[in-house]
Order: sequence, then C-alpha cells, then structure tokens
Amino acid sequence: MRLLRPFPVRLALSAGLLLIVTNRSSLAAEATLPLPARPEAIAFPPLAFEPPSAAAFRHVLSEGTVVFLAPSHELPLINLSITFKGGRSLDPAGNPGLASLTARLVREGGTARKPAAEFDEELDFLATDVAVSATDTFTTATMNCLASTFDDSFRLFLDMLREPAFDADRLETTKARLLAQLAQRNDDATSIMGREWKRLAFGPDHFSAAEPTAASVEATSREQLQEMHRRIFHPGNMIVAVSGDFDEATMLAALERALAGWSRGPEAPAPAAPVAELKPGVYHVPKDIPQGKVLIGKRSITRDDPDDIPLTLLNEILGAGGFTSRLMQKIRSNEGLAYSARSVVTANVEYPGIFYAGFESKNATVALATKIVFDELRSLSDELVTEDELETAKKSLIETFPRQFESKPKTLGVFVNDEWTKRPADYWKTFRDKVAAVTREDLRRVARKHLDPAEMAILVVGDWEAIAAGDLDKRASMGEFFDGKVTHLPLRDPLTLEPLE
Amino acid sequence: MIGCLLAACIGGTPLPAQQVAVEEFTLPNGMQFLLVPRSDQPDVVSAGWVARVGSVNERPGITGISHFFEHMMFKGTGTIGTRDPAKDARYRAEQQAVRDEINQLVWTRQYDRFFKGEIDDPWDPANDTQQLRVLRGRLDALIKAQQGRGAGGPDAGTIVKDEFDQVYTRAGGSGMNAFTTYDITCYFITIPSNKLELWAWMESDRLHDSVFREFYSERDVVHEERRLRTESTPTGKFEEQFDAMFWASSGYSWPVIGWPSDLNSYTFDQAQEYWNVYYRPKNLFGIVVGDFDPVIAKQMISRYFSRLVPGDREPPPVVTLEVPQLAEQRMIADGDFPPGIELRYHTVPAGHVDSYPLDMLAELLNERTGRLFTGLVEGRGIAATAGAASDTRKYAGLFAVSAHARGEATPADLEAAWYEELARLQDADVPDRELRKVKNRLAAENYRRLESNMSLFIQLAFAEAILDWREINDAPAKYEAVTAADIRRVARTYFTPTNRSVAIYRRQAN
Repeated sequence: MRLLRPFPVRLALSAGLLLIVTNRSSLAAEATLPLPARPEAIAFPPLAFEPPSAAAFRHVLSEGTVVFLAPSHELPLINLSITFKGGRSLDPAGNPGLASLTARLVREGGTARKPAAEFDEELDFLATDVAVSATDTFTTATMNCLASTFDDSFRLFLDMLREPAFDADRLETTKARLLAQLAQRNDDATSIMGREWKRLAFGPDHFSAAEPTAASVEATSREQLQEMHRRIFHPGNMIVAVSGDFDEATMLAALERALAGWSRGPEAPAPAAPVAELKPGVYHVPKDIPQGKVLIGKRSITRDDPDDIPLTLLNEILGAGGFTSRLMQKIRSNEGLAYSARSVVTANVEYPGIFYAGFESKNATVALATKIVFDELRSLSDELVTEDELETAKKSLIETFPRQFESKPKTLGVFVNDEWTKRPADYWKTFRDKVAAVTREDLRRVARKHLDPAEMAILVVGDWEAIAAGDLDKRASMGEFFDGKVTHLPLRDPLTLEPLE
Repeated sequence: MIGCLLAACIGGTPLPAQQVAVEEFTLPNGMQFLLVPRSDQPDVVSAGWVARVGSVNERPGITGISHFFEHMMFKGTGTIGTRDPAKDARYRAEQQAVRDEINQLVWTRQYDRFFKGEIDDPWDPANDTQQLRVLRGRLDALIKAQQGRGAGGPDAGTIVKDEFDQVYTRAGGSGMNAFTTYDITCYFITIPSNKLELWAWMESDRLHDSVFREFYSERDVVHEERRLRTESTPTGKFEEQFDAMFWASSGYSWPVIGWPSDLNSYTFDQAQEYWNVYYRPKNLFGIVVGDFDPVIAKQMISRYFSRLVPGDREPPPVVTLEVPQLAEQRMIADGDFPPGIELRYHTVPAGHVDSYPLDMLAELLNERTGRLFTGLVEGRGIAATAGAASDTRKYAGLFAVSAHARGEATPADLEAAWYEELARLQDADVPDRELRKVKNRLAAENYRRLESNMSLFIQLAFAEAILDWREINDAPAKYEAVTAADIRRVARTYFTPTNRSVAIYRRQAN
C-alpha cells in the first residue's frame, strides 16, 4: 500500500514468517543506532489486509433462512444473534414504542413452557446472557453462552422467541418501570436535545422521532404485543449469525432442527420515509443549566448515494476526526470553548439520514462556537480543503479499515446488515480504492450540495437569556444567525409530551 | 470503578479459570512492561501505559492536577507539536511569568475582595481590576501569538495544532484516549499491528520530552468538561457533594476533576514538580495486547523506552488513612431526578481478604434474578431500578446500594426495603444454589472479559496499578472459595448503622 515507507529490502518480502525473521536480525543491528528523529522516518513492515468475503461464511437452511457461521476456538464461548427486519419502523400510529416494548416483553415475559421467574433463574444459573431489543429498522435477539451450555441455553432462547408468554404480571411491572423512565425525559438536557432534534429533523410523526406517552404505554394490551411478535419473530423475517467455539456441521444441524416447524411469514415492509421537511432557522428549548447544548444540521443522503464516500471524508475533516478535525481544533483547542466538538453523518438505506455538528459550551460562548461552525461550513463550500487535510482523512479511513472486521461477531454483523440491505457485493473490496480516488474538488462540490449552512437548523437547549447576548468581547451573538429570528420551542411534559405552560 | 472490574474477574466453578499468559519485563530505568500476544483479533494491537498516580495523590490546592496532566500529555513535545521549539519555549516562559503574576493578584487582592463581599467570584474576569485586565490581555495575546492567530500572524506562531493526534490518525490509530481515576492515570490507543514502532516512538517521546504547551488555555477546556460532566447533569454536583461528605480524611474526598479554584491555580512549577515525582519510569508501566511478535516488541520497546531518565525522588507514600465513621451521615438533595436513594458503607481496599465476599455480595444483589430486582423492583413493586457496587480502591473501599422509586413509592420506602433485605443477608446463610448461580455467572465472565483486547488491557491496567497484574489470574480461585458464612460475616461487619451514609434524592417541584 502506498501509505507505507518501507526499506527496499522489506518491500520485497511478502511471507509473514520471513518478514519476522528479517525484522529480528535487523532490529538487533538497529538497537545501537540513534532513534529516528521524527515518526515519518520510521519504516513500517507492510500489512496486507483483504476484507473477508461474505460468501465464505454464508449458508442457507433447507427452509430458506440465511445463516452466517464463523467458528473460532480461542475461548469456550458461543455468540448467537438473530436479526429480524423491522423495529420502530413497524410501530402503528398512536402507539410509538410498541416494537420496543414487544422486544422487552419477549425477553422478560416467560415462555409457553416456563413461567417468567423460572425462565430467568435457569438462564442465570447457566450464566447465559440473552438480550432482545428493537432499533429503528431492525429487532435483534442475542445470546452469549459457554459452549458447554449451548444446547440448554439455545432451547430456552428459542422457546422465548417462538412462544413468548407475555406474562401479565411482568407486563404490568415493565409498564410501571417504563413510566418511571418516561418521567425522567426532561431531567437531562441531553435527552431533551435528542427528542427535539429528531422532531425537527424527521417530523414528530415519523417513527424515528415518535416517542411513547404515559397514555400510550398504559393502553398497550397483551394482544397488541402478540400481534407485533407475530409480525417480527419468524424465519421468513430473520438472518442468523453464530460465532465462537462450535463445529460448523453440528451447528447447522442444530439450527435445522431448531427452525423445523416454525412457520414462515412474510418479510416485514421497508421503513417509511419521513414526510416532513426540516425548516432552517434557530430553535431553542429552555433548560436551566450553566452550559448551552447545540446541534446544527440538516437532512443528508441515503447510504447508496454516490456522494457517500466524499461526504464521509468531508465529515472526517470537519468534525469526525477527533482532535485532528477542524471543529475540535478551532472550538476546543484554539479557543477553549468546549470539551468536545464534533460532526456526524448518518445515512439510512431507504431514506435520507442526517448531518449535524454539535458541542456544549458555557452560555456566553455558545454564539461564538456556533459562528465557528458556520464559518467552517462555509469555508468547505468556498475553498478547497488542504492537500494535507485530505491526505490525513484518507489515510485514517484506509488504515483503520481492517477494524471493521476486527472480530468474528463484528464481521458477521457487517454481513448480516449487507444481506438485509442488499449492499453491492464488491462494496468492501473496492472501498479503499474509492476513498483513495476522491479529490479536493469532489469535496467542495459535495459540501456545496450537502452542507449549506443556510439550509440548516440550529437547536439550542439551555438558558436563552444568558446565551443570546454572546461573549464579553462581543465577538458573536445569537442575533447574527437567520436574521436574529428564533423559534422558542416549549419544554414538553415528560409523560404526555404536550407543551408545558 | 475497580470494584466492578474486579468483580468481572471472578471465576472458578466446574470450569478451570482461563489463565492469561503475560510476558513481563522491566527496563534498566525501572519501567515495567506487560505483553499479551494473541491473534483472535488479527492485525490490530491495543497499547498504552499507566502512571501510578491519581487524584488520591493530590492535596488541597492542587486537586485535579492528575487529570489536568492527562490533558497536557496530548500537547506534544520538543519535536511534536511545534515548528520552532526554541521560540515556543520563550512563549511559554513569558506566559508563565504573566500568569504567575495574575495568580498572585487573584489569591491576594481578589480573594480579599471576595471574602469582604465586594465581588461574587474572585476568578471571574468580569470582576477584574484594571491591573488584572491588562495582565489577562497580555496573556491572551501571548497565547494567540503562539498559536499563530495573534500579532505577527501565522508566521509568529510556533504551535503545530494537535500534531500528536494527527500522526496517529494518519497511521490508522483509533480510539486514542486517556482517563484519570482516583488511583491511576491511563493512556491508550489501538493501532494496526505493523505500527507498533510508531507507538513506541510516540509514547517514549512524550514521556521523555513532555512540554506543558497550552498550559493556561487548556484549563478553559477542563472547566467546560466540569460543566459538562458535573454541573450540567442532574445529579453530578450532588454526587460530588456526597463524596465529599462520605470521605472524612481520605484523599478520595475531592473530585478527580478538581475543585474549580484549584483548577485555576496550578502553577507551572507545581506541574513540573508533579511530573518529576510521578511520571518517572519506575512509577510507570506499559501494556501491549494483541496481534504482535513479542520478541520484536520487546526489542522495540527496549530501544525506545530506555531513553526515559530515572527520577531522583520516590513518590511520597499516601499516609492519611480514612478515620472511622462514628455516626450516620445523611444528605437530602432536591433537583431534576426521580425520587431515589444511595446508601454507602465504608469497607476495605482492593486485595483485602474481605473484598472477595463483598464483591460476591454485590453480584448476589444485582442482575435480573438478584435480590434487589426480585425484592425491590418486582416483589415490593417500589423500585424502577436498583443496583449495588463494591468499589474497592487502592487505599480504601466503599459499598453502595442505589435505587429509583416507581409509582407512589418514596425514598423512605426504598431505604426501609433495603434494611429488610440486609437483615436477611445478616441473619441467614445464602442458599447453596443461589451462591452457585453467582459463581457460575462470574466464571463465564472470566472468559467474556477476554473477548476484546481493550477489555483485557483495562483489567491489566487496574490490577497492576492497584495490586499486581497476577490478580486477574488469581482472583477466580479466591472468589470460588468464598462461602455463605463469609458473605454473612461481611454483611454483619460492614453494614452497620453508624458506618453508613445516606443520600436521599427528591424530585423538585417545577
């Protein structure tokens, strides 16, 4: 790879063993030499990495379910995960949180064969970890057990997925705990920020922004949970991944037996795209804290957009690259305005993700830090990034690429996601070449198209009166954004989500 | 923190405990290294080092300086982070002179005005005297000039911003970070296997030739960190106060991040002094876990880290012991949080013979089938969440039980329920099957902790800094040996009314 600066003698080597031998003898000689004056003077041995191919791990059971297997015998553990299509995306209007509550009760509500408490005791005695949860677009069930307890653990796990009992007492307990959790929704400014940002970005009715209320939780019936369970948990809607200490043929046979007689339903529908548009401007939600929390952003691209990789690089340079990124340098390191400043791009498969930059700063310097973000966003459209910035961002993406596959569970996770979302088969094989091919001009074009600050919303959670005026030195005030117009959003009742006051 | 980690080391039972093979060696300058080659995660290495220093080694006046050091360690060296080391040193010397003058004025004149009630905050620039305003302006100008953002423009600047991070970023480093606790300060990164020499270069360079660059501007960042973690979270400032109340004489009573006035007050000389005592090779150790050849790594480490110069002073022992608590302590906090409770008891340091049954006791209380969930969350239906932790540190320990109320339940109900559960633990032996269940779970945890390089790294860091790295291999047998009688004994010994402190949390009316 072109990132390395090897000595010619090492460049000629390819076999790992030979390399090590050579290294050892050369190191002994090097030990007496002065140390390299700078890190750039170090010659690194080459590291050849090819991403694994999903096909080598993929199996199809006789009834059609796709399974990825990766045996590994270093530790006597087995990790099994089942990914079901659909999560919060399946929540019906008026009952946001139903998929999550269903997932929770599948885990907590016992099975047709065992009361909930007995089921939990058995799993705990086996020392087996089991979790079920729903995200925006998937529901996952995972099991981590000692290889010696696999048969017993897997039997319980399958009973739970196939025939959950949704025990009435457990449902009541879980609802009560959930209500206590809902009551805390305004306690931490971070959770207010998360809720209001999603409402702005996707509209309050989209599944990714909608949150349960006390009334919707209380009204949820056992029958609704059972219905949601029927839609999600069946072989027609799942992909299995197993890694760890097992024999491949034995595991395939165990899975064949396990799925026998479990009737296949239809695959869950794709998630709905948001209808609402994000309206640019300044928004504020009140919270009495000595620091303003800020997000600045807009809707972004879908995962398979051709601008995906250039936008990733741009985001790396702007605010995803840690201390090396512009926002961290200018806001934290130069000015000391924040502990952390960052930017994030998410890309959904079926509908656009979001871009946002964010930081937390003392009230008086919220405006100044916001101004720095705006200046940097404009600069990405007006000027080319430096050669050095692009080079650093590319090297970082290329050199950290192997970490996507650093463990067996992580590798299988990539395969499962790619299978569900029909990612092109050569995506990972050509990923580094695609990164290397991006130019500075590409980044400017992509910045103009996707990162125009005039199209963004600024959301501030904090004490507006202390924030609006800006810093003591008058370097910035909130009045300079969007002609000084501010939309004051109400704090919402944590239980009803209705505006307070 | 260590309590949870040690708890994760528990093992034994029908399975033989997994032994972690650690190659250990010490350089002539006294710096020790722990190497764990393993190939399950191919092509990557997690590497780092630990300074055996934390906030417990501080004293009033310099609280938080250990954590501040952690920030300073990313600011570069004579080679990394500057394009003109000589000029950069002159900037630093000038800044030091001005800042020392500012500090003197604040500690005398401004503190005096504050004590008399003339100003509300001696450190707030809004309360500056004319003389202070001028000095602060000069310091600010020097800082900007050094950054290339002031008079003289970019050419006058000497800093290459965050070059330390950039070098690693270009080389595929990820997860570069550090943390400071009461007892240890730890620096780490994950790198591609072929970049181990870069790690040795970078880390030995910053330990050999550290420069406290941006010594004055960085404390604004730490103030923001304080606001973020302590002051802007619902319970942060109350937890800080609870700590200060719980510990009477121990150095665990002040926060790791430091008191705000101390954070403003550190002088360059104090920092240099701290460095000379605590950041010398004998007080440090390195850890490398992952896919590498140990023979090559050993040579590489020896070649680079041998440049560190041994110090001429031993770190002073921590001599102040926590005095026994004689009466119950109680704190009532009103704020934006659900009604809840935290009870704490003074216990024992890590490695104490009673620390093993105490850790086991926490496990008995936790998890879905533990006694807090079945007793408080489900059985009595008064808690939304409940948990316990045995936090055994280097010089002292504590045991904490906490719960949030649900429904109409009050903190008083939670407190009463805990005393009932406690009485059960004190009056009767834990049944065999329940003890076996906990031991089984901890035995599985003994393997799960090895599933990632970073998790193993962190366990070695704490074990070696506080006891001995061998503890991660020895602990499983010690936990396996714990009996029901041991648990009952520690429940009676430590969980007494006069040894407890209680924090009551109440939701404040809007």
